[in-house]
Amino acid sequence: MKPNELLRLVWINITQNKFKTVLTSIGIIVGAATIVMVIAIGKGGQADVAEQFKNLNAGAIDISYDGGDRERGGQSAEASPGGGNFSGGEGGFSGGRGRSPDEAGGGVLNGDSFPGGRMDFFGGGSDMEERINQENITLDEDDVDDIETFVSGISAATISYSTRSSVEGGELDEAQTYTIAGVREEYAQMSNLSLAVGEFIAESEDENKDKVCVLGASVAEEIFGSAIDAYGSVIYIDSRSYVVNGVLSSMGTVASGISPDDSIFIPYATGVKYLVGSSVSPTITVIAEDVDNVEQVSKDVAKVLAQTYPNAEFTYEDAGSKMEAASASNEILTMLLIAMAAIVFVVGGIGIMNVLFVSVKERTNEIGILKAIGCSRKNILFEFLLEAAAISLIGGILGVAASLCAAPVVEYLGVRVELSAAAFLIALLFAVITGTIFGFYPAYKASRLVPVEALGAE
Amino acid sequence: METVEREERDGIITLRDVNKSYKMGENVLHVLKDISLTVKKGEYLAVLGPSGSGKSTLMNIIGCMDVMDSGAYCLDGVEIEKAKEKELTGIRNQKIGFIFQKYHLIGTYNVLQNIVMPLLMRGMTLKEAREASMDTITMLGLAERMEHKPNELSGGQQQRVAIARALVGQPAILLADEPTGALDQESGKEVLKLFDRLNDMGNTIVMITHDLGVARHAGRVVRIVDGKLYENGVTVQPDAAG
Ligand SMILES: Nc1ncnc2c1ncn2[C@@H]1O[C@H](COP(=O)(O)OP(=O)(O)OP(=O)(O)O)[C@@H](O)[C@H]1O
Ligand SMILES: [Mg+2]
Repeated sequence: MKPNELLRLVWINITQNKFKTVLTSIGIIVGAATIVMVIAIGKGGQADVAEQFKNLNAGAIDISYDGGDRERGGQSAEASPGGGNFSGGEGGFSGGRGRSPDEAGGGVLNGDSFPGGRMDFFGGGSDMEERINQENITLDEDDVDDIETFVSGISAATISYSTRSSVEGGELDEAQTYTIAGVREEYAQMSNLSLAVGEFIAESEDENKDKVCVLGASVAEEIFGSAIDAYGSVIYIDSRSYVVNGVLSSMGTVASGISPDDSIFIPYATGVKYLVGSSVSPTITVIAEDVDNVEQVSKDVAKVLAQTYPNAEFTYEDAGSKMEAASASNEILTMLLIAMAAIVFVVGGIGIMNVLFVSVKERTNEIGILKAIGCSRKNILFEFLLEAAAISLIGGILGVAASLCAAPVVEYLGVRVELSAAAFLIALLFAVITGTIFGFYPAYKASRLVPVEALGAE
Repeated sequence: METVEREERDGIITLRDVNKSYKMGENVLHVLKDISLTVKKGEYLAVLGPSGSGKSTLMNIIGCMDVMDSGAYCLDGVEIEKAKEKELTGIRNQKIGFIFQKYHLIGTYNVLQNIVMPLLMRGMTLKEAREASMDTITMLGLAERMEHKPNELSGGQQQRVAIARALVGQPAILLADEPTGALDQESGKEVLKLFDRLNDMGNTIVMITHDLGVARHAGRVVRIVDGKLYENGVTVQPDAAG
C-alpha cells in the first residue's frame, strides 16, 4: 500500500471520532506538557544560577577567619548575620561567621535570635584557648598587602566586611535596618559593579575615614525614590550623617545572599571607625588571574597568612565551587523532574496501549474484512502503528499547548520558567515515540489475527 | 485417474479430499469430510445445503481465509496448502473476490474508499484506483453514492458496494456466501440478475446458499449435507431449504 494512501486511511480514522482521539491521548497530553515544563523549569533554574553568578568573578577566592572572633559577636549583635548573608556570589563579603561548615546554621541562628546569649555561650569557653582558631585574629589591610606582595598569579585583592545597621533619612519615616558593606576602592571593579550616578568609594575617602556612601539601586529607590534624588543627599547610618556619593546600577539578584542592590557601601576605614570597631570580621577577596589556578593561589595565600598567624586556620571559599554547588543542586532538581516526566509518559503510554487494545477489539471485524480483501499483516501493523503515532502526535501538540497555558501559572507561583522551541520538539518526539512503542503490541496483535476469526467477530 | 487429472488441469479450483474439523473442548466436530470439488473457469456454481452443514467453512477454505486439516487445494495454479501467509494475502487480494451475507463494508470509509480498497492494497493511488473502478461503479449504479457512508445506504445498495469491491480487482473467482441472505426479495433478485450478467461476462462464481430458488440461477449445483459434498442428482436427503 502506498504510504500516503495508508496515511489517508489513518487520517480518516482519527478524525472520525475526535473525542475518542483526544481521550486516548490524554496520558500523552499530560506527558508532553510535563516534559515541556520540566525542561522549562530546568532551564529557568539554570538561568537563575547563571544570573546569580553573572557578576561573579570565577577566579575569586574569599578568605575569612571564624575562630576567636566569635567572642566578640555579642558586642555587635547586628554584625554577624549580615556578614553571613552577604557572602554571596559577588565575591565580596564573606562575613566571617555562618560560613564555616560547622557553624553554617549556628551563626545565623545565634546572630538573629540570641544576640546577647551568644557571648555568654562562647565567651565562657576560655578553657579552649589553646585550640586552634581561639585567638582574636582580625584580618586587615596589611594582610592584603602581604598577599599582593608575596603571592603571584593574583589580579586583584581587597578586604571588606558587612554588617547591619539602622539607617534614617530621605523619605524614610522611621529607621530601617540595611546591610552596610565596608569596602575599598577596588571592590567595585572586582565585583563588576557599575554606577548609575556618581562615583564609587575613593581611596582618599578610605584614608580620611570620610562619612560618604554609595547606595545599591533598591536602597536608593526605597530611601529617596530614585537614584538622581539620592545622589548628593545625606543618610544617617547609626545616627551619623553620610553623603551619598553614588548610586549603583541595578545588578539583579545574586547567589545565596543579599544583592548589591540592597546594600549600602561605605569606605572600609570609615566603617571600622564608626560602625563595627574592633568586632570587624572582614573577608579578604583575592582574584586569581587564571581560573584554573585558584587552588594554587589559595595554597599560596594560606602560606603567607600562616607567617602572620601561625595558629589560625582560615576559611577559603572560591567562586567556582560555589557555582558548581549551585549547578549541582539544580541538576538534581532537573533529574527529579525528568524522572517524573518519564513516569508520566509510561503511564500515558500504557493508557494509549489500553485504548488501542480496545480499539483493535472493536475493529476486529474491520481487520477481518481488510484481511479478506488481501491487506497484508505489514499494512495492518502500519495502519495501527501510524494511528497510535498520530494520536500521540496530536496529544503531544495539545500537551505543548497545555504547557503554554501552565507556564504563566507556574511562573506566578514563583518558579522561573524558560520555554524553548527545543523543549517543544523534544516533547513531541517523546510523545510520538511513546505512542509508537506502546501502540506496537496492539498493532502487532491486530496484524496477527486469523482472517476468518476476525471476520466472524461481531 | 486420468479424468481426474484432466479435470484438475481445467479447474480453476480443485479440492481433493479436504477435511476440516473444530475442536470443541473434548469432542471434535468434523465439519468437512473428504470434500473433492472442481470448479472450471467461467463456471457458475451454487453450493446448496442446510444450516450448519459446513458451507461457510468450505467457502472460507476456498477463499484462503481458513486452513484445512488435510487434503489438497489448487487455486488458479497455486498449491494453497503449501503457501505461506504472505502469498495467501496476495491471493486473497488478486485472485478472489469476496461477497458476504452481511456485506462487511468498513463503516468509517465512504462507498468509494470501500470499493477501491483492494486496489489500494495493490499499491495504486486513490486516483488510479478510482479510475480503474469507475466502470464497475457505474455498472452497479453507485456513481451517485460514492461519498456516502455505508450506513446511509439500503441493504441492496450496500450489497452492490460489496459486489463492486469484489469485482474491481478482476479476480479469478467470485466467492459469495449467501449474497441475498440479508436482502428483501426485490433486492435479492437484482443481485442474482447481476450475478447472471457477471457470469455471462466470463466471471467464475461460487455462490453459497441454502435456498434452492437462488441456487437455480447457477449453471451447476452441488449439495453439502452433514459435511459431505454431493453433485446434484445424487441427492441423499431432500432439500433442506425452507
Ligand atoms: N470457529 C468455529 N469453531 C467451532 N465450530 C465452528 C466454527 N465455525 C463453524 N463451526 C461449526 O461448524 C459447523 C459448520 O458451520 P458453517 O458456518 O460452515 O455452516 P453453514 O453451512 O455455513 O451454516 P449457515 O447456513 O447457517 O451459514 C457448524 O456446526 C458450526 O457450529
Ligand atoms: Mg454460513
